[in-house]
Amino acid sequence: MSVSRFREATDFQAGSDNWQLLPFRFERLNGKVLVTNLVGEHLTLAGEDFEQLANKELPVDSPLVRQLRARHVIRQAGERTPLTLLALKARTRYRRLAESTGLHIFVVSLRCEHSCPYCQVSRQSQDTERYDMSLEMAERGLDMAFRSPSSQIKIEFQGGEPLLNFGLIEEIVRQAKERNRDHGKQLGFVIATNLALLTDEILDFCARHGLYISTSLDGPADLHNKNRPRPGRDSWERAVEGIRRVREALGVDRVSALMTTTQGSLDRVHEIIDTYLELGLRGIFLRPLSPYGFAIKTKSYSAYDAERWLDFYRAGLAYILELNRQGVDMTEYLSSVILKKMLTNQEPGYVDLTSPAGIGIGAIVYNYDGSIYASDEGRMLAEMGDETFSLGHLATDSYEEIMTSEALLAPLEESFAPSAPMCSDCAFEPFCGSDPVYHYATSGDFVGRKPESDFCRRNMAIFKHLLDLYENDPAARMTFLGWAGR
Amino acid sequence: MPSSAPDDSAMVELDFAAETASVDAIQRAAYRFCDRFSCELIPGETTHRCLLTPVDDVDVAAEVASFRTEVLDQTLRERIRAETEPIRTMILAQAFSKTGVVDPQDMA
Repeated sequence: MSVSRFREATDFQAGSDNWQLLPFRFERLNGKVLVTNLVGEHLTLAGEDFEQLANKELPVDSPLVRQLRARHVIRQAGERTPLTLLALKARTRYRRLAESTGLHIFVVSLRCEHSCPYCQVSRQSQDTERYDMSLEMAERGLDMAFRSPSSQIKIEFQGGEPLLNFGLIEEIVRQAKERNRDHGKQLGFVIATNLALLTDEILDFCARHGLYISTSLDGPADLHNKNRPRPGRDSWERAVEGIRRVREALGVDRVSALMTTTQGSLDRVHEIIDTYLELGLRGIFLRPLSPYGFAIKTKSYSAYDAERWLDFYRAGLAYILELNRQGVDMTEYLSSVILKKMLTNQEPGYVDLTSPAGIGIGAIVYNYDGSIYASDEGRMLAEMGDETFSLGHLATDSYEEIMTSEALLAPLEESFAPSAPMCSDCAFEPFCGSDPVYHYATSGDFVGRKPESDFCRRNMAIFKHLLDLYENDPAARMTFLGWAGR
Repeated sequence: MPSSAPDDSAMVELDFAAETASVDAIQRAAYRFCDRFSCELIPGETTHRCLLTPVDDVDVAAEVASFRTEVLDQTLRERIRAETEPIRTMILAQAFSKTGVVDPQDMA
């Protein structure tokens, strides 16, 4: 057996006085130049310094040479360590690919007692059971989930309102745990629910089986109740009471909330954040509205554009940073995901910001009727009559057929950002992702025309804003480092 | 006529010396500007001619200046790509290969 040993010190010394370029990309930003290496490590250079770099005129004793070497933008001629480290970091960045598919979404019912105008799942009436998933389809969904090579399996129950078919949730949880005795995977469960139908029996089951709850909270009562009509007009009151009961029964970390941004949200970001704080929720995801489902039918999506949402996001982030300066622990999750990509070699796996895209290989959806979709957004498109992201059916298709289907591979391959027009040159690409469903929904193909893409415009603006704060606001920098390190 | 329709009367002609800017670099720049200009590229042996037609009411002078800068940047990106391509391939090969066929000594 061979024994590893440390290499000689000379192995780490520069081979000559000259430096060589390593692969990097750049973008000009207000007179400065952002430079990112192969794995997204970056620094911002003054214009004249960048010209010296580009023209290979930087003196070898320049302090900037040390910084550029530290970021693996250049190497001393003959130096091998940067190549090994870059390879290691690239492998770390893409390691999730060997762990597909981690998130399995079971749409246990399309029924819902809410009638939200923007609802992304195009809900069906509550008073019919034809929109519930059958036990047979659920078991086939479990077959598919446990066929996945991922060592971690999360099963998320969605709707409609999944609590309307809670009996099936109980059965799926029991069977999944039983099957996992043989598989030994790290198994987790989440119910995405509006909490309006929460009962003590449901809470008891969740406590006994370790389920997590993800709910919706759009902000203050009037805004939430306007967004989420239901009989009694008490959606907010039920959600807030539900959050309190879940925390009491399961623990404070067992419930999280997601907000949906509507036109009515745009001028009220402080109130929305305050509502989260008052309920003891220490993080918020400032999300844009998605161009799917009822948001299109009711024209909610076109009600405001990317720029207005960006104003909302920037104002919300500024408020959250101010709260952190005052000692209040509050996180903005979208920024947190991006900062983790910017400041670490970790890939947080947020499906909207990964490349290859997260469809199918990051998350997969088993619809109530047994049809399989590459993503929740793909399911929403199907509800609008477009089956482009339909991968097959639980009753007829095998795992191999689903995962090698052209319906999955074509959008994955075509949208891969390092090969996409403009993305392949873009210095922000390591922070970004490809979203073939979004681009298909908005422009009719999996790639989209990037200069006209709101996805691109929005993400670029966020990246620039975060970088600006990181470099010019010491307090924000400290907060960002904390978020990225979590 | 919708305001986003191209305005042919505002067309701008730009010439790029073929020895300093490749067709690929100009095409990549044109793509980045496709929300502001439609572009017709006429390649030549010594000069590549670029016909830019503004879309919508863009600040033509400022955007044309930015377009020229973008062609220079794309030319630089082209040079960096060419210079670092072998190393990029080596790094990615090492990153995703567990076969041991890539000898780190070869990467020096």
